[in-house]
Amino acid sequence: MSNVFLWIANNIFGVPAFLIGIIVLLGLVLQKSDISKIISGTLKAIIGFLIINIGSDIIVGALNVFQPMWAEVFGLSSNTMPTGFMGFDKFNATFGGYIALIMTLGFLVNILLARFTKFKFIYLTGHMMFWTTAVFLGIITHVKPDVSMTLVVPILSIIMGTYWTLQPALTQKYMVKITGTDSVALGHTVGIGAWLSAVLGKFVGGKNPKSSEDIKISEKLSFLRDSNVITALTMGSLFIIGAIVLMLKGTDVSKELIAAAGTQNFIIYSIIESIKFAAGIAVVLFGVRLFIGELIPAFKGISTKIVPGAVPAIDAPIVYPYAPNAVIFGFLGAFIGGLIWMVILGNTVGYVFVPTMIVLFFHGAAAGVFGNLTGGYKGALLGGFIIATIVAIGQFYTVMYLLPSTIPDTAAWAADTDMFIIGPVLYFITKIFR
Amino acid sequence: MKNILCVCGLGQGSSLLLRMNVEEVLKEMGIKANVDNADVSSASSMKADYIISNKVFAGEIRSDAKKIFVENYFDKDEIRSALSKELL
Repeated sequence: MSNVFLWIANNIFGVPAFLIGIIVLLGLVLQKSDISKIISGTLKAIIGFLIINIGSDIIVGALNVFQPMWAEVFGLSSNTMPTGFMGFDKFNATFGGYIALIMTLGFLVNILLARFTKFKFIYLTGHMMFWTTAVFLGIITHVKPDVSMTLVVPILSIIMGTYWTLQPALTQKYMVKITGTDSVALGHTVGIGAWLSAVLGKFVGGKNPKSSEDIKISEKLSFLRDSNVITALTMGSLFIIGAIVLMLKGTDVSKELIAAAGTQNFIIYSIIESIKFAAGIAVVLFGVRLFIGELIPAFKGISTKIVPGAVPAIDAPIVYPYAPNAVIFGFLGAFIGGLIWMVILGNTVGYVFVPTMIVLFFHGAAAGVFGNLTGGYKGALLGGFIIATIVAIGQFYTVMYLLPSTIPDTAAWAADTDMFIIGPVLYFITKIFR
Repeated sequence: MKNILCVCGLGQGSSLLLRMNVEEVLKEMGIKANVDNADVSSASSMKADYIISNKVFAGEIRSDAKKIFVENYFDKDEIRSALSKELL
């Protein structure tokens, strides 16, 4: 009998693609989808899941040029990125099935809590569920590599389900003021950061804070909404600046790094590497979109049946239309804050912060809207800066200390605000029970 | 069957939310269509008869599809009235 369980564990749970396929299949069957949708949906989810791994490898490649380059720019003596780590490709191949399982069970916990408590929030932001679960699992498996998954799966599922129910509750008081309705909530890892921005915003806004919406901002900034463009532009600029600094420095390490470009001009090489970073992210996002696009509708279908009066907790951008200028101020605060922290961290603790535009934009923008609520445009700028601070310092200690042997590559670009705040708690809990 | 594409900035959460709401509204209206979601970059290379999005993306969407704009991706009433205008 135990052989059957072992076989199931190794060949189904242990092969993420199959486990995901089964979960999505069940979801589609429960939704009474027709057979063609069941087949195509299941396959799309699996394909999407495997595409994520392909994109992750591209990102690691680009990071392996970025980090050493900027370590040398700051004059740091050694490569600051952890070495010999698993990487998301290998991590997902090993634990991906468990990530999907924890997402599903965590979602069920969310439903139960919503049904039986006053917190009627159903978290529907699938990609955040995925990344948060992955990062937390990365921390746990780093602290205790041989941890028993039969223990981790239920415990982490309960933790995730609780977070997914309570984070929307934390931000709801401000969400109602922003959207004018109680029928929608925020379900996004900017949660605690946004709440903090609203709480602290009133200290900078003064008695009659000037709202960001009363200030005129140029339409030409709309291209900032395309994440591929903004990621490529920022990383491109940072790579070029780094390349120029290295070429001017002429140290031995600089010459070694420049030699990696072979016969190609180092600046051209750097531009290509930076765009590879954006390309890797684009591939990963495509994979997540396919995968989540099948999983979340199934989740939603199940939740509407079980929780009457459910309030969907959804993605950060829902607040943007309510204060579009605050979005820009928040992003500005986060972007500038990110660059400042990059210099500070490089020159103090010797860590090369990777300022991912996706995180700085989406989180900075949401924090901007929350900050504007209580502190006007100054509150929005502060909100962005708060995000940059949490993300920069958080990325540093997460990559270097919380999960350096598993997925620091992922933490360097996909981990964000709430993950950095809750991560250490999980780290210490796992350590206690080691 | 018509192809409807729901678009947002990153193609992750918002466009999926819009897609789920559009699918529900279409079901209520008794209209059959293929609904998909994407980010604004990918949308330019995807085939669609209609693209539903927020007007902040208007400048970035390059497509011959008929554009329908909604302000709130979670407001089914707004989605229903916008779709009724174009599809009925």
